[in-house]
Amino acid sequence: MRFESIARAASAGMLVALLTATLLPPGAANAAGGTIKIGIDFPLSGADAADGGPAANGVILAVEQANKRGVPGGYTFETSELDDAVQGKHDPAAGAQNVKTFIADSAVLSMVGPFNSNVAKSEIPLTNDAGLVQISPSNTNDGLTVGDDAKKLREAHPDVNSYFRVCTRDSRQGAALAAFAKKLGYKQMFVIDDNETYGKGLADSFAAAFAAGGGKVLGHEHITANQQDFKSLLTKAKSTSPDAVFYGGTTSTGGALVRRQMGDVGMTAVPYMGGDGISDGDVFVTGAGAMAKNVYFSIAAPDAEKLPSAKPFVAAYKARFKGASLGAYSANAYSAALVEIAAIEKAIKDDGGKMPTRAEVLKNVAATRDLDTPIGKIGFDANGDTTAPLLTLQTYGPGGKIVTIDQIVLK
Amino acid sequence: MDLLLQQLVNGLSLGGIYALIALGYTMVYGIIELINFAHGDVYTLGTFVSLAVLGLLGVTGVVTGPLLIATVVVTMLAAMIACGLAGVVIERLAYRRLRNAPRLAPLITAIGMSFILENVMQYWRGPSPVPFPDLMPNPDVHLGVVTIAAKQILVIVLAIAMMVLLRLFVYRTKLGKAMRATAQDREAAQLMGIDINTTIALTFLIGSALAGAAGFVSGVYYGSTWFFNGFSAGLKAFTAAVLGGIGNLAGAMLGGFLIGLIEALTTQLISDQWSNVVVFSVLVLVLIFRPSGLLGETLPAKV
Repeated sequence: MRFESIARAASAGMLVALLTATLLPPGAANAAGGTIKIGIDFPLSGADAADGGPAANGVILAVEQANKRGVPGGYTFETSELDDAVQGKHDPAAGAQNVKTFIADSAVLSMVGPFNSNVAKSEIPLTNDAGLVQISPSNTNDGLTVGDDAKKLREAHPDVNSYFRVCTRDSRQGAALAAFAKKLGYKQMFVIDDNETYGKGLADSFAAAFAAGGGKVLGHEHITANQQDFKSLLTKAKSTSPDAVFYGGTTSTGGALVRRQMGDVGMTAVPYMGGDGISDGDVFVTGAGAMAKNVYFSIAAPDAEKLPSAKPFVAAYKARFKGASLGAYSANAYSAALVEIAAIEKAIKDDGGKMPTRAEVLKNVAATRDLDTPIGKIGFDANGDTTAPLLTLQTYGPGGKIVTIDQIVLK
Repeated sequence: MDLLLQQLVNGLSLGGIYALIALGYTMVYGIIELINFAHGDVYTLGTFVSLAVLGLLGVTGVVTGPLLIATVVVTMLAAMIACGLAGVVIERLAYRRLRNAPRLAPLITAIGMSFILENVMQYWRGPSPVPFPDLMPNPDVHLGVVTIAAKQILVIVLAIAMMVLLRLFVYRTKLGKAMRATAQDREAAQLMGIDINTTIALTFLIGSALAGAAGFVSGVYYGSTWFFNGFSAGLKAFTAAVLGGIGNLAGAMLGGFLIGLIEALTTQLISDQWSNVVVFSVLVLVLIFRPSGLLGETLPAKV
């Protein structure tokens, strides 16, 4: 089915190209241009929409700016946004379905997304097979780009990588959080994760780094999907007298509920630490209620508001999306889109104005070096990982406002 | 040891909520042998209705004294009435006409009703977790080495009180007698002049009202809700009903408390992620040796 539709789409595309080439002189073809689509796959509904929505806005802004200043060959960029949340939560099967839709549409030359690592796991084999460029602003799981896990995701074309990310990996995020925990004076911690690709990966790397740094991991527990009652688990955690509790996972998988119920079992004074999964602002703060204080977390992105290179981006974002908040990964998503736009435009120029192929776009994205973006000069290594990883440590201040504590450039 | 006792308290309060939901499952199954999959969602509906009522009353934080009692009574009654009526409507729309259809048909409409309710609630309050106001102060009560929060006492006491009231109703009143007769043999009961439709509607009314009460206390107890909560809670409650012997009121209560306890103790002694495994393993073991559940009676097969 899929191969048929790709073949059909491809032949239709060729037919159009052929017609344009024969009927119009080259100059006219340039002027006429065409539409090039950039696919966006994020969770856009439910608890995760607080993450996905602002990230999608970043891509939309980049595309609109490119159209405004003019695209070589007279082309117009367009975004195609699909939601990968089902029942209010990011869903790997929905993500895979979205990617299939992108692959079947010959006008889609690249895509930005997904937001969540487990969704990426189900999407990478598809984009690898189709040779469609995919850049994630926020996937931090190690297994997506390195090691045997990454190899398994690229069985169709083991020698080709079409998945890139502009953020760092969890082994580095976990290590940075462990160093941060040590700096805050935590000597023994209780670790909880949501048993998902991202959450467990982050909790594992945090626990390993924390122990390696002389800290003591008092226990490491995994919660299950749709769990509502954490009181038994937290009573157990409390009995080990931790200096703080670490949570690996997202707000939608229980991050805020665990924090809220810590208050119910008398762990009101115990700090809470997590990764970028609990950095979604309002959703976490409402969910955790009175316990949304003394919470520390990292994001695998810069604090765009504080980064000089991101000033124009932040201003443009606020002007374009009045009332919408700047998400932790808006700047990353914007930068990911810039990489793709630059790659597509280079391919158009190299081809003398012809509609680029996905393979050309992939080649150009992989060759990206030192591209100026709000989050710094972006490039990718052979695995598709960024060569300029950034990490920001934050906390929820009074009124649930996110306050940046520190910004780290990982070496 | 102190810790284990503390976990028993956690398990009992979790089990109390399961038990309240399980009562509805078991009543409906007892009377028309239908697994009402929408029941878990009626429970969530109870929390949402409570939220709406609290919103109308303008309650956003802790209230005390007589005002607290009034608020609790009004909100819980509203949730019970709304859910009870929802149950009756669901029965009328989705189950009544299929009462004599092959068993699979009402089972599928039940799943359909569950989806409808979930999506209505998602449309109503959005797909994110919704915070529930902190309604009552939650002082700890110290009993020897164990600490019980006031909200935990509320859950446990309410669950037991409801079960006792329900038992009195079913075994001591005329309507209860009609329910039991209908459960035993629908046609014979009809021949004896019992209005079957009303009796079954009444069963749905009471069972769903109990789910509404459970929805209210779960909102108070957890301080937040989510449109999808009913799915896993309903599954656990259904398991509780089967474990205790489906169709048996005391069994549903016993099953609910047992599952809560098993979950809490598994979390403490093994690990949180194993709690579902242990719960369902116990269920399998019990059903192997007592196919009709812990308190279930072996009824003569229906012809």
